[in-house]
Amino acid sequence: MSELALIIEDDEDLSEIFGQALSAAGFTTEVIRDGLSAQERIKQVVPSVVTLDMHIPHIPGNIILDQIRADKRLANTRVVVTTADAQMGETVRGTADLVLIKPITFTQLRDLTFRLHQWE
Amino acid sequence: MNIKSILDNLLNIPSIDPEDSRRRKLLTILLFGVAVLPLPLIPISLFLGGTTGFTQNEAQITVAIAVTVFIVSIILYGINRYLSGRLSASLFLFFLCVIFVFADAPEELVNGRSLILFTIPIVFSSILLGPASSFVFALLSSIEIAAIAYFADIFPNVPAMVSFFALAVVSWLSGRSLEQALKDLRVVNAELDQRVVERTSELSAALTREIIEAGRREAILNSIADGVVVFDRNGMAILANPSISILINKPQKEIIGRGLNDLLDSSELKAGDRGNVAALLEKSAQDFSNFRVAWGKKTLSVNAADVRDDNDRVIGTVAVFRDFTREAELEQMKNTFVAIVSHELRTPLNAILGYAEMLKEAVYGQINEKQQGVSVRIMTNTQRLLGIVSDLLDQAQIEAGRLKIQMVPCKPAELLDNMRGVMDKIASDKGLSLITELDPSMPSIIIGDPQRLQQIMVNLAGNAVKFSDKGSIYVKVFSYDKKSWRIQTIDSGNGIPEDALGYIFESFRQVEGASTRQHGGVGLGLSIVKQLVELMNGTIAVKTEIGKGSTFTVTLPLVMHEGLTIPLRSRQE
Repeated sequence: MSELALIIEDDEDLSEIFGQALSAAGFTTEVIRDGLSAQERIKQVVPSVVTLDMHIPHIPGNIILDQIRADKRLANTRVVVTTADAQMGETVRGTADLVLIKPITFTQLRDLTFRLHQWE
Repeated sequence: MNIKSILDNLLNIPSIDPEDSRRRKLLTILLFGVAVLPLPLIPISLFLGGTTGFTQNEAQITVAIAVTVFIVSIILYGINRYLSGRLSASLFLFFLCVIFVFADAPEELVNGRSLILFTIPIVFSSILLGPASSFVFALLSSIEIAAIAYFADIFPNVPAMVSFFALAVVSWLSGRSLEQALKDLRVVNAELDQRVVERTSELSAALTREIIEAGRREAILNSIADGVVVFDRNGMAILANPSISILINKPQKEIIGRGLNDLLDSSELKAGDRGNVAALLEKSAQDFSNFRVAWGKKTLSVNAADVRDDNDRVIGTVAVFRDFTREAELEQMKNTFVAIVSHELRTPLNAILGYAEMLKEAVYGQINEKQQGVSVRIMTNTQRLLGIVSDLLDQAQIEAGRLKIQMVPCKPAELLDNMRGVMDKIASDKGLSLITELDPSMPSIIIGDPQRLQQIMVNLAGNAVKFSDKGSIYVKVFSYDKKSWRIQTIDSGNGIPEDALGYIFESFRQVEGASTRQHGGVGLGLSIVKQLVELMNGTIAVKTEIGKGSTFTVTLPLVMHEGLTIPLRSRQE
């Protein structure tokens, strides 16, 4: 079974595109639409890659990011922050593995996560 | 009123009144004296009448004279008071002349002790009726003693008559000089009075003007909406208008008479702004003028200027505070609006781009060549739209002062490569060749903001491609001197008309003319480049030749190592 990629993104279209890109990069994908569900889910699974939007309902992305970083089980999880807010992107540049500022293209995400996959 | 003041009032002869009034007053005094003086004679005569040397008959005559004199005096006083002073004076003098005839024995009147009596009307007339009238009474007195002498059969006293005329001359002279003196005095007094009236009216006019002027100034100061405080040279507030107390929420009396530091320390200002305001007001620093501070819940714009006297010496500072709260809110709303709209536009555009790409990449199955072409066109146009949205967002961020320049190590070679990654295809699609050159003089690593430096290069190269139809686009990166480096783009376009050079760096402006709309974009590319360059403490220049092309040169400070970064100018807006 291929590795798990969690796509935390509230926009339906973008989650579809990101999902397809990560599938194309060889991951099994799962889409989560809000912060609360994301918090619950990362307690249950150990994803290889998480794409994390900063502006999601209930709990902001940076809190989720801190939670992942604080969890020893998730030490090898790569977090790709996907945000339209360049300012916000800057504040998490040190904590995230990769910060992508929207617009993020299908090929861009596919190729980048494919490389992450290869490094594993 | 005591007796002294009554007497003062009675005996005081006015010198400045009209001539007639002075004469009348004088006559009143004389009448008073003439009426009162004989009165003691009445009891004396009644008591001594019939005794030795004073016959009963003589006593009766004396009483009769005293009473007559008293009654005549009262009648003359009435004429003087209610009819005519001149008439009263004439009658009084004639009355004296008549009464003297019966005052003594004829021998005594002509040659003896009572001769002196006839001089009295001569002297009085010069004062009461005018200097020349003394001659009339000298003549009258002469006739009287001549007549008395004739009837008493005495030899007429000729020397006395001559003396009467001599006295008349003296009286005439002294009366004349007195009148002249009084006349002069009246003229002087009249002049003085006139001058006093003039000065008084001048003073009152000046005072009225002063009051109106001061009132007007105060009214202006009180009615302007800007807060005004004037500090003296020692930094003490000497004037404050009502608006300032509303703006900074402090009663006027707590501002005036206090020092600048008192005012700032007790204010709702943040510590940093407090320092800036103090610097502005203490130095009237031009660099800081018109800057905005958050004062409590308000946003104020502060300006200061020196107050100078006529000799151009600084005598204080005037500070003007303007309420910018509404403008600041509107600006904030505008920026928030642009940012939200930009974000909300980006997300669906990102989706369109993603789906088009997925179609092209055959994620949903194979598509034919024509469908692939359409997908690419969708992608290209979406990219263009995304570029515009990015530019709008950048512009909004720069205007809001929220765009921060990073200082991190970056490689010029990489910047150029990344720029090529974006621009190569766009240039080749237009049939242009993009030539980049990294001068060996350029350090391999510099300190700067890679994202923004790349944006500058892409925007400049994009601009060059946009306005060129053939030939090559050169992008050069080289160190200019020890302290600066340059990015230069050379295009082969039509050049920029001279009148357009003034505004090509302004937001939402493109060169007017035939080529305007065919190039697309909203006219933010060069404006953003200029603003980014300025945020980096650099400069941008353009050289252009119509029909041959333009050269844009960006000069930036060369920062080689981390830790040696030069401070970026902080934006005050």
